[in-house]
Amino acid sequence: MAEKYDSSSIKVLEGLEAVRLRPAMYIGSTREQGLHHLVWEVVDNSVDEALAGFCDRVEVTVHVDNSISVVDNGRGIPVEIKPEFGVSAVEIVLTKLHAGGKFDSNTYKVSGGLHGVGVSCVNALSDWFKIEIWREGRTWEQEYERGVPKAPLTDTGKAGKKRGTKVHFHPDPTVMEAHEFNFDTLQKRLRELAFLNRGLTIVLSDERTDPIKSHEFHYEGGIAEFVRDLNKTKTVLHDKPIYFEGEKDLPNGGKLGMEIALQYNADYSDLIFTFANNINTVDGGTHLSGFRSALTRTINSYGISSGLIKDKDKDAVTGDDVREGLTAVVSVKLPQPQFEGQTKGKLNSDIQGHVVGLVNERLGEFFDKNPAVMRKIVNKAIDAARAREAARKAKDLTRRKGALDSGGLPGKLADCQERDPERCELFLVEGESAGGTAKSGRDRRYQAILPLKGKILNVEKARYDKMLGHDEIRSMITAIGTGIGKDDFDLTKLRYHKIIIMTDADVDGSHIRTLLLTFFFRHMQALIDRGHVYVAQPPLYLLKKGKSERYIKNEKDLTKEILRRATENISVKFGHNGNSGSVEGTEMRNFLAKLDEFRNFIRDVDRQLRDVRVAEILCNPEYKLDTKTDFQDPANLKQVADELKNLKLTPEIAVDEEHAAHKIVYADQTQAHRTIGIDLATRSEYRRMRATAKELAKYNKPPFVVVRESVAGTPQDTWRDLLETLKTEGLKGVDLQRYKGLGEMNSEQLWETTMNAEVRTLLRVELKDLVESDTIFSTLMGEDVENRRRFIEENALDVRNLDV
Amino acid sequence: MRCPICRQPVAAGSPDQPFCSDRCRIQDLANWAAEKYVISDRVHSDDLDAPEPPPGPDDPL
Repeated sequence: MAEKYDSSSIKVLEGLEAVRLRPAMYIGSTREQGLHHLVWEVVDNSVDEALAGFCDRVEVTVHVDNSISVVDNGRGIPVEIKPEFGVSAVEIVLTKLHAGGKFDSNTYKVSGGLHGVGVSCVNALSDWFKIEIWREGRTWEQEYERGVPKAPLTDTGKAGKKRGTKVHFHPDPTVMEAHEFNFDTLQKRLRELAFLNRGLTIVLSDERTDPIKSHEFHYEGGIAEFVRDLNKTKTVLHDKPIYFEGEKDLPNGGKLGMEIALQYNADYSDLIFTFANNINTVDGGTHLSGFRSALTRTINSYGISSGLIKDKDKDAVTGDDVREGLTAVVSVKLPQPQFEGQTKGKLNSDIQGHVVGLVNERLGEFFDKNPAVMRKIVNKAIDAARAREAARKAKDLTRRKGALDSGGLPGKLADCQERDPERCELFLVEGESAGGTAKSGRDRRYQAILPLKGKILNVEKARYDKMLGHDEIRSMITAIGTGIGKDDFDLTKLRYHKIIIMTDADVDGSHIRTLLLTFFFRHMQALIDRGHVYVAQPPLYLLKKGKSERYIKNEKDLTKEILRRATENISVKFGHNGNSGSVEGTEMRNFLAKLDEFRNFIRDVDRQLRDVRVAEILCNPEYKLDTKTDFQDPANLKQVADELKNLKLTPEIAVDEEHAAHKIVYADQTQAHRTIGIDLATRSEYRRMRATAKELAKYNKPPFVVVRESVAGTPQDTWRDLLETLKTEGLKGVDLQRYKGLGEMNSEQLWETTMNAEVRTLLRVELKDLVESDTIFSTLMGEDVENRRRFIEENALDVRNLDV
Repeated sequence: MRCPICRQPVAAGSPDQPFCSDRCRIQDLANWAAEKYVISDRVHSDDLDAPEPPPGPDDPL
């Protein structure tokens, strides 16, 4: 018996010796991954017992010496002597490669770990290995060293009702390079196994720590809980994972078990784990491709039947689209699975059709019963399809092609000679003709010009729809050089340290400027952060008198200049016969400037009322029309109402319930309803108008008489008349030219006024200016015209507000 | 600050500022590429006073 044992074991040992010589061939490596692989081989045997329905508990323990024990409550490995080998069945399992599972053809032998080498490899690579078996009321034990049995399997006593198998091994440090088991690695895989084998309890204990670390994994929900767990930090689209399972007979007589769980979250990436016989098939295979194609098909077909996908040819969603935000686990179990690929990570068994059938049927059923979830999922895929299309278009903006010269720069760019970006300036000039003027006016050593054409649409409808064409944006991105986008933007590639937007000083110019600034704000914010973006200040007027010329950049400066000219050597008396006082010098000029502002504030308030007479009544500084308290007393409103009556309007003082106050309502001359109440009184233009009116009260006592060099002029009945007279006066003998566009200047004028660094003023664009401007832009871009109109009205916005 | 595309609030210092995500950023870029951003002046000319013309010699105040 002993001799026979020896001779048969020698033959077997030749196999195990091969494992010790080339361990990596069998367990992948001798480093950490291989070390843990030893545990998986042992645990897989226990899980197989669970799959076969004979075991529901597996305990894995890491001992202080980095040995591992695995205990299950399965049937116990058969212990009888196999006549053809003369040794126990268990000894064959432990000493012969690929021997596991041969003893029971009914075993659901689906496992085998990544390489399916069996527990004999673990034995071969352990310097110490002990097995205990509780079977049919008896306990059996055997010990090994480096795969060699120290003695035959021995019956050591009673087992009572206890049954199962315990494997305890210590990896051979002379073969394995890694010696320490990693708790997290063990935990992750054992937890996964517990998910994959619904109802199975796996306990992991680590005795190396004090106190002993122990975790129990048990999931009644199986892979549905797995999916829930994978999604636990995400925003899910539907509360419960969708779960279904099915079984099919295979031609080879075995059964195919399929389980699928899936749940969508708000993310854009997908997370799909596939398993065949508990092995993570990292490269997918037939089960994954079946799942994918059926998922895509089902979502498309429900998208079309529900009407969410309008055109099935144009709007169909792709596999990538339906996988956005998908978390799924696909697990199949089958006898003798076929794997392929270098790491055997791909399932090759012919089961795709079965998976497709299961998904088509069961996911369809689910969608029928849960139309709300179905719509969410379909819409998510539609969104993904749109985003995919968007990414394609966006990419096209940065691709270098078409109208570029040999250096890769846009053909329309007139580049400068200087190569040091710090000294270079790029003018973004609106319009071809202004671009031409700028090209001849510039200092070509360091100034580059890129003419941009703002497209005008709907010209025939007399609408000024302005936009930046695709090619304009592309040229601009290329000329600037930094690229755009999260990964592509590179500030060090900036070709010009000053990017200067030069547009006409009119409405159209302001629109183009708004578009450009919005683009910079959204996609090249770093340029604004670092102060590389500027707005040129072309003059709005040229004032000529005799030989003197003066460029004026805005209306405010123009008014100031005109009034300055009109008010040399004058004073203004007010009140009848000038008995209310007079004003002169700086005080008078401030008064007149204030009047001009006042005029503008009244105009702003008039946008709300559309009757300047009403606005002027509200300017009366004597009336109490400012605070909430003022509006709570109807007596304060009575005077206004009386004045409105004088204008032949029919005002009523009504209760303003919303503000617990009063208001005046009336129909204006166009029969439109107008309200004078707290809503109006809290508007900024109203407050400014009232404040200015109060400031002016001291002087605002008509009639006004202008006294020039002691000669009194004609009395003016209103302040408007006074202002008008003086402005006319200030323009006498003056030639005022208004520049409607850059193109009206010749190249010398453009250089002198706007481009010459010695004299020009540039406005540096600040980020804070743009945050607000972007909000305005967003509203302006809105589809809803009515909304836009209201927004503009409410914000008393005219184009100047978009200016930086 | 809200994302210009989806209107979700965007935290200060977000890497995709002023967007909430790279996806919205790309969507915005696609809108530019598709020439979807149009400033229309119709609201001024039809529904509101045209922006105040600047005062000039032929523009009595």
